[in-house]
Amino acid sequence: MHSILAVDDSASMRQMVSFTLKSAGYNVVEAVDGQDAYEKAQGRSFDLVLTDQNMPRMDGISLTKKLRESPQFKTTPILMLTTESSDQMKQAGRAAGATGWLVKPFDPTKLIEVIQKVIR
Amino acid sequence: MADTSTDHSAAAGIDLSQFYQVFFEEAGENLENMEQLLLELDIEAADDEEMNAIFRCAHSIKGGAATFGFSDVAELTHQMETLLDKLRRHELVPTPPMVDVLLQSGDALKAMLGRHQGSGGEEVDTSGLLFNIRAMVAGEAPPAAEAPVAKAQVPAAQAPVAAAATAATTGKRIVELRVGPLNDLSQADNLVDLFKEITDLGTIEPLPDDPSLDATRRFKVETASAESELLDLFTFHVAREQVAFLPYGDAATPAAPAAQAEASEKGYGFFDDAPGAPAAAQPVAPVSAVEPQQPKPATAVAKPAAPKAEKPAAALEASTIRVSVEKVDQLINLVGELVITQAMLAQNSRGLDPVVYQQLVTGLTDLDRNTRDLQEAVMSIRMIPMSTVFSRFPRMLRDLANKLGKKVELVTQGEATELDKGLVEKITDPLTHLVRNSCDHGVEMPADRIANGKPEVGTITLAASHQGGSIVIEVRDDGRGLSREKLLRKAREKGIDAPDSLTDSEVWNLIFAPGFSTADVVTDVSGRGVGMDVVKKNITSLGGTVEIDSAEGYGMRVAVRLPLTLAIMDGMSVGVGEEVYILPLSSVVESFQVSQEMVKTIGGSGRVVEVRDEYMPVIELEKVFQVPRFDWEHNSGIMVVVEAESGRVALLVDELLGQQQVVVKNLETNYRKVNDVSGATIMGDGRVALILDVGSLVRRSRH
Repeated sequence: MHSILAVDDSASMRQMVSFTLKSAGYNVVEAVDGQDAYEKAQGRSFDLVLTDQNMPRMDGISLTKKLRESPQFKTTPILMLTTESSDQMKQAGRAAGATGWLVKPFDPTKLIEVIQKVIR
Repeated sequence: MADTSTDHSAAAGIDLSQFYQVFFEEAGENLENMEQLLLELDIEAADDEEMNAIFRCAHSIKGGAATFGFSDVAELTHQMETLLDKLRRHELVPTPPMVDVLLQSGDALKAMLGRHQGSGGEEVDTSGLLFNIRAMVAGEAPPAAEAPVAKAQVPAAQAPVAAAATAATTGKRIVELRVGPLNDLSQADNLVDLFKEITDLGTIEPLPDDPSLDATRRFKVETASAESELLDLFTFHVAREQVAFLPYGDAATPAAPAAQAEASEKGYGFFDDAPGAPAAAQPVAPVSAVEPQQPKPATAVAKPAAPKAEKPAAALEASTIRVSVEKVDQLINLVGELVITQAMLAQNSRGLDPVVYQQLVTGLTDLDRNTRDLQEAVMSIRMIPMSTVFSRFPRMLRDLANKLGKKVELVTQGEATELDKGLVEKITDPLTHLVRNSCDHGVEMPADRIANGKPEVGTITLAASHQGGSIVIEVRDDGRGLSREKLLRKAREKGIDAPDSLTDSEVWNLIFAPGFSTADVVTDVSGRGVGMDVVKKNITSLGGTVEIDSAEGYGMRVAVRLPLTLAIMDGMSVGVGEEVYILPLSSVVESFQVSQEMVKTIGGSGRVVEVRDEYMPVIELEKVFQVPRFDWEHNSGIMVVVEAESGRVALLVDELLGQQQVVVKNLETNYRKVNDVSGATIMGDGRVALILDVGSLVRRSRH
């Protein structure tokens, strides 16, 4: 079963994402911010990281950068959730090593659609 | 977008409504948090960290609201976020009106969320708020003046905008605005109206529709505002992705916006040759087109756009869980039963020989200790810090002081002091009343304060502390204090018997008399003095007391003393005949052996006892509760003096059995209301003992 690390500081979003992914047959680990996610990513690997941008303690861009530093996350798809489809954010994400982006708000269908493109 | 989400989710078989409750709770927390941060915000020296935290609150609510389809909430939070974003980027300087409008927006959001949760209420009209925020975002920041500053501080942030635009943000420029694809072409008319409303924006003229663009309207726009500002305004009426800016008269570039529109419609994309990207994924035109030109500024942008914050709140969230109060109460009840069972075992095993039953006795001792620890731990679950009550006052006082034209500062102390949740809920209203009174009647107008040699700003202090088994909550102010003469005069006008010989504290207590008002002018803030009597009654019903201290011209202090919890209490058990009664230990003053000559009969049936030259009424518990007697010769010989509602009575009992903690069981819910009894408990031997309502006994003695 594929494992996904879902990072969002909002509990409702986290639940929605987690529920959707679990319903689609994925194994989900939730994290409340970048720091939490980084700690949970230690010593294990994921098939996909789905991270929010604006979070306390560590934001999504910094998380992406830090994850890319470790060997087991070199090629892991990292998708960022951005509220606005701003080019600035996308560029920052790309520079940090993100794989792609998904615009918030999104619905469960779209989430699964994107994820199926990166996890085969 | 939010509107369509329901259909899609239905297709995926996931019902988004199951997440609503979490969203409501989370949004509520964010709103509380935001309000508190806004109230604490030092406008002159706004801290970046604080601004970011406020921004994140609005941002988070918006994200959830948009996802779960609460478009009205999303719309208002979006505008708040736009304003806050400008503030945290130092593109705007915070002003008190901004804080006001953000606070009002917070109130509106609370009302909207309440409506979505089905609590009803009027539909919330946010048009005024939206207009004000919009004006603050656009009107108060003339781009010509703001642009150089913004550029100096965040050069990278402005760069992509400048690159995408045809000219620098200084001065007016002409661009082509494309809006579409639209379901309803008239949606674009709203944008035209926007330019009419906000004249600073510039001018807008329709252009002939381009047949190659499906359902898209074109406009010629002359403006000095940055595109990001325009976008923020437009998103009221059309989605961000439906808007494209083109150089005016440049027909050669329709491909880029078209691709952008396509990418945005998909709502996601992958970076060309990024790690983990699907092999088949095609790079999306606008991003890859812009990107190679400016990879460096992009990284620099990351910092201001998404800063780190070292707030412990989020970390805390991970380590707490939400549990319904019923579950906790059930737990407390079960532990209560366990305590009783344990006490019964302890009592029944007392006669066992410790030598023979060594292991059993040791086990029972352990059980005793563990039960106590467990009880304490379980009780602490219900304890919540006073900060949950105090946190509502800054906002309330701020609004109140503004309304009254007074200047008041609120100081809170001991917010970490914990109190039972049930008590917290019940004490909030009385405290609110006391704080209002302090602001309304206590603190003087700024001019009067200066004339009296006081600082212009009055101080109201809310302080909580543990004192023994109680919590003491004080409301202090440095206002005008109570006037003895005025109170006495007023009392006499009201027909209350108030001789000059009353002590100060007795005079202060007059304000608790029903229908008493000390203000010369009745205001709509504290009402007509209705309430102080209710305040006192409410506090008394919680087993608490109220005390007033005052010095005319210097202020007053109201101290509310409450038991820490209603679920257990320290009691003194007394025996009357075969019955056992529990007296709340806090109300017991003393006990003594009584002799015949100390008791005097007055007025036929009433009896008083003389203690140290003071007479107090005697209440024979055996008569009150009609305790059956089998030994007719018996003479009760012990009196316990109890105190409540500033009155004392001596209770005549047979014996003092001891002091112990008792688990209070509500008699009304389990049986019915019984006069002079506040509850019941189960004793160690399994018998039920009634807990006496001392207040009621004292009142009885007065009749």
